[in-house]
Amino acid sequence: MKILRIIVLATSLFVATVCQAQSMFRGDTTHAGSYSGPAPRQFHGAKWKFPTGDRIVSSPVISGKALYFGGDDGNVYSIDVETGRQIWKRATKGPVSSSPAVAGGIVYATSYDGKLYALSAETGAVKWKFATGGERRFEAKGLHGMEPKNQTIADPFDVFLSSPVVAQGAVYFGSGDGNVYAVDVATGEQRWKFKTGDVVHSSPAFADGILFFGSWDSYFYAVDATTGKEKWRFHGGEDALIHNQVGFQSSPAVVNGMVYTGCRDSNLYALDAATGKEKWRFFNDLSWVITSPAVARGKVFFATSDSSLYHVVDAASGKPVLKQQGNAYMFSSPAVAGDVVFIGVLNGTLEARDVKTGELLWNYQTEMSKQNKGWVLTAERKFNVPFFYYSNWREAPLVAIDRQIGIGAIFSSPLVSNGVVYFGSTDGFLYALE
Amino acid sequence: MVNLSNNTNRTMYAYALGNRSSRVWLVLTFLIASVLVCRAEGTASGRWEGTVQIPGMELKLIVDLAQDNRGAWIGSITIPGLNVKGSPLADIAVKDSDASFAIKTGRGLQATFQAKLNVDGALSGDFAQAGNMAPFVLKKTGPAQVELPPHNTAIAKEIEGEWKGEYEVLGYPRHVTVKLMNRVAGGATAEFVVVGKKTTNLPIDLVTQEGDSLTIDSHETGISYEGRFKKDAGEITGTFLQGPIEIPLVLRRAN
Repeated sequence: MKILRIIVLATSLFVATVCQAQSMFRGDTTHAGSYSGPAPRQFHGAKWKFPTGDRIVSSPVISGKALYFGGDDGNVYSIDVETGRQIWKRATKGPVSSSPAVAGGIVYATSYDGKLYALSAETGAVKWKFATGGERRFEAKGLHGMEPKNQTIADPFDVFLSSPVVAQGAVYFGSGDGNVYAVDVATGEQRWKFKTGDVVHSSPAFADGILFFGSWDSYFYAVDATTGKEKWRFHGGEDALIHNQVGFQSSPAVVNGMVYTGCRDSNLYALDAATGKEKWRFFNDLSWVITSPAVARGKVFFATSDSSLYHVVDAASGKPVLKQQGNAYMFSSPAVAGDVVFIGVLNGTLEARDVKTGELLWNYQTEMSKQNKGWVLTAERKFNVPFFYYSNWREAPLVAIDRQIGIGAIFSSPLVSNGVVYFGSTDGFLYALE
Repeated sequence: MVNLSNNTNRTMYAYALGNRSSRVWLVLTFLIASVLVCRAEGTASGRWEGTVQIPGMELKLIVDLAQDNRGAWIGSITIPGLNVKGSPLADIAVKDSDASFAIKTGRGLQATFQAKLNVDGALSGDFAQAGNMAPFVLKKTGPAQVELPPHNTAIAKEIEGEWKGEYEVLGYPRHVTVKLMNRVAGGATAEFVVVGKKTTNLPIDLVTQEGDSLTIDSHETGISYEGRFKKDAGEITGTFLQGPIEIPLVLRRAN
């Protein structure tokens, strides 16, 4: 009887651990993007797809029998993971372009309305709301070379909000007001806030009592999760010319005392988690690293934007292990499960690649991408720049980017659970593929 | 005289007339078609306007086709929806009822048109770009108004030769070597080599000098150099332009 109780307890703990490992952005508090359990090496079909009212850039999480994600239609959704049927939705006052975190029966989600929401995981009822200083996107004069050079332009590629992470009885998240907040999960009261020099849309990772996150002020920070005091900071690249090669948009992963993060200065950095000392960097020829790196099997998996390269490097040394040429920008972060890596591509395709070789096993193209309205894509599914980036009209660059990502782009980072891959698309659907 | 009131006779007559008529029409059609085919090259000249039907997007096309004084085909195209104005047509071929041409603009647009001159006077066919294909139909609206592309000019003797300079992007130095020379005909040419982490030999397609102003363009890469020759200083002071980036670049005589 005692043995039975131990088995039941151990099983419960195992289940709890497995559930926990899918209940926050990139799995758990370390954001390693590595998922246990089987993964579909072959594509068998769509298990279900769930429609929302607008684009989805949020990455789904799973807790128990429910899947949670945010929509740019302003809702936080709870979906039955088996059937794809809606359990509840809760409206916020702005796009929910981040991943919810689920802990202790509460769903925490950030919205462009500048608030953190704590919702009942079961019903979606609002437990409390916490107001920040308000959201905003990264902005700069003549950003990316856009005209006029003397006018401040909000970055259309700053698409994600910071996803909350829950640890030590607090929920932590970054904000467009430049702060990282620690909010008490029980009361919804602020414990502390940490001021950076610019927008924080990087999602903090937590390990050993320390929070790790980057800011658009070009610094990467380690902060004591209990006190909010800075432990160290690391300086990334600067770009005074067109502000293109600056800022940490990528979210870090913390594994074995190392912090891995991408940066818009085109480097993937490996930093000592204790000291912030740079261990190595992997330069990507001025191509942004927006993806949050996945860390598994002693390797780091990431991808680039303009050069559209999928990379695997050695986690200890940063030495290249393999690379594969993709078809289009990758902002979605790779998810490692079993012997497969999944990654979303902005051309509206989800790719499944072999962990060891990086070779494409299968891909899934969204219907909107297949329709290819306005020939945004070439026949090879590369971005057909002359067909969406052609006008000199005032707002043309922004319209062009809107046209580009309206193709069913996959910003959302895949989640793998029980042999099913879940992700959202700008076509407004949340997909479950098996 | 055939009695047309007689149904039988009328039917027979109609049959006979019909047969004869068919033959006549066949001959006429053949003659007209022959004339049309023979005259196709002539009828291709002109301004053609119409649309190409791309999924979710209708593009207006204005194509000008003409023959120069040596009989060679020249042409230009305007696509208002793609910010293309008077872009030169390449690879123009007109034979019998077939016409084909291509475009390659400085904005990276490369496309081909395969068309047929129809009996109804329309020029219709397929527009192909980046592996995508869509149908187009054009109708002649008037005489051709071909826009001729800018051409290389000759440069002053003292500008000819090798020049060197350097600039920096995001802390990364770039070394530039420019070789300028006049050709016997067709104006000047330039070699423009940028050495950074790798060496890039820019494909230069336009070199012009107006007064002391020198312009070197690589439309394919979107890179250009605009400089002012300062005879006394023996240098060309200018700006390296790559898309939105403008960086000062002074070229000095290579030793």
